[in-house]
Amino acid sequence: MKIDRFEFPDDLYYDKEHSWARAEGNTVAQGMSDFGQAIAQEIVYAEAPRVGRKVEQGQTFMSMESGKWVGRVKAIVSGTVQEANEELEWEPTLLNESPYEDGWLVKIEVSDPAELENLMKADSAELEAFIKGEMEKYADVLAG
Amino acid sequence: MRLYRLGSVSWQDSQLLYHALPRLGREGVILCCPATTYVCIGYFQDVGQEVDVEFCRQQGIPVFRREVGGGATYLDGEQLFFQLIIHRDNPLVPAGKLAFYRKFLQAPIESYRALGIPAEYRPVNDIVANQRKVSGCGAAQIGDYYVLVGNLIVDFNYEMMARVLKVPDEKFRDKVYKTIYENLSTIKREIEPVPPIEELWSLMAEKFVEMLGPMEVQTTVDEEWRAKTDELATQFLTDEWLYQKRRPGAGREVTIRAGVQVKRKMHKAPGGLIRATTEVQDGVFAAVSLSGDFFFYPEEKLAALEAALVGVPETEAEAAIARFYKEHGIESPGVTPADFGRVLA
Repeated sequence: MKIDRFEFPDDLYYDKEHSWARAEGNTVAQGMSDFGQAIAQEIVYAEAPRVGRKVEQGQTFMSMESGKWVGRVKAIVSGTVQEANEELEWEPTLLNESPYEDGWLVKIEVSDPAELENLMKADSAELEAFIKGEMEKYADVLAG
Repeated sequence: MRLYRLGSVSWQDSQLLYHALPRLGREGVILCCPATTYVCIGYFQDVGQEVDVEFCRQQGIPVFRREVGGGATYLDGEQLFFQLIIHRDNPLVPAGKLAFYRKFLQAPIESYRALGIPAEYRPVNDIVANQRKVSGCGAAQIGDYYVLVGNLIVDFNYEMMARVLKVPDEKFRDKVYKTIYENLSTIKREIEPVPPIEELWSLMAEKFVEMLGPMEVQTTVDEEWRAKTDELATQFLTDEWLYQKRRPGAGREVTIRAGVQVKRKMHKAPGGLIRATTEVQDGVFAAVSLSGDFFFYPEEKLAALEAALVGVPETEAEAAIARFYKEHGIESPGVTPADFGRVLA
């Protein structure tokens, strides 16, 4: 679905840090939403976390830089990092150009699938209200 | 929120103290300057690629990797640091990076203006006066806190800044020096006479209070803060932290057109990191660029090695390098032709 001009694919889950989760069996792929990349602006560095690292939902586990600002990314679910998108270390702008496909961040082997219930669904009123609130908050940034 | 007027502190404290506060869940504005000189690199920088580490070692100049973004810089006691640590949910924090920089850089900008220097904000995060940068700034999120760091530059050692950077040759270094000199100004270059340092600290303190509201002033590092700072030293002052390679991880290959590829590979040899960018046409090197933080003597022969590899099939890279080593008496401690072979294969 679209909220204003931002894409939110229907099959994904979203958190309030502007990350998305795609459930694939026992694994969850995590990335940054279209809205998230828009307010982050051009990403110049992104680090790939170590495969095998244990992460916890809501805890910082990787960083990226934009405008001399080092921002942190929180894990969208708890588990173990199974795969990291190393391509981002060469081409961090994939995060801006292809947030839902080539710009994925990590794949996490989930330790508690029930955690997905803590996230927002694309077609939920909650996500729509949240994004609209964020659009207001970031109006200046979005206006460019 | 407190205002920490610390004045001159050790070079380690001038970085570690602001890394410690957010980890303690404390907001504040720290005003301090380092007692001795050091080089500071951005979180994502590769120290071997940015800094002449060997020169720094010889001169006894420490190098530090901060958690904040931006580039490599030479820091000393002639630069007065401001470090703002503020919770991301603090109502004073505006939404968006630009708004954050614009709002909080107002304190140093107003300080400069009070001195008669026409400073202004220039996006993304620069303070300029008379078209020249007068402060170096960067930011980070540490835990749930935003950290903004920057400085008022009383005087600047342009020669040393250009000297500590890793550059391909001395001609390039001279260009770096001129560029920095032309584009970065200082209080000393802008006004005469420079007010006493204590007055500059008071000015900055006053401008931060105007912006953030009244703050209790603290002039020493309390026990809790000291303990956390010392704890962080065990991580941030290690070679492991400094030399960690933030990027890139693995090799990469881009096909330009059928039969032509640009490849980038890296390999950590015992003597240092080797990075290779090659253009390969039908399996033969059309261009080779080698870099990294390894030692290669005579240094000028590295360019000759790159040239010698043009026209050599990829599969014969290692043998060709071994021949080159023999012919030119190359010495590269901890790096063998086989190591080069790995990034070129």
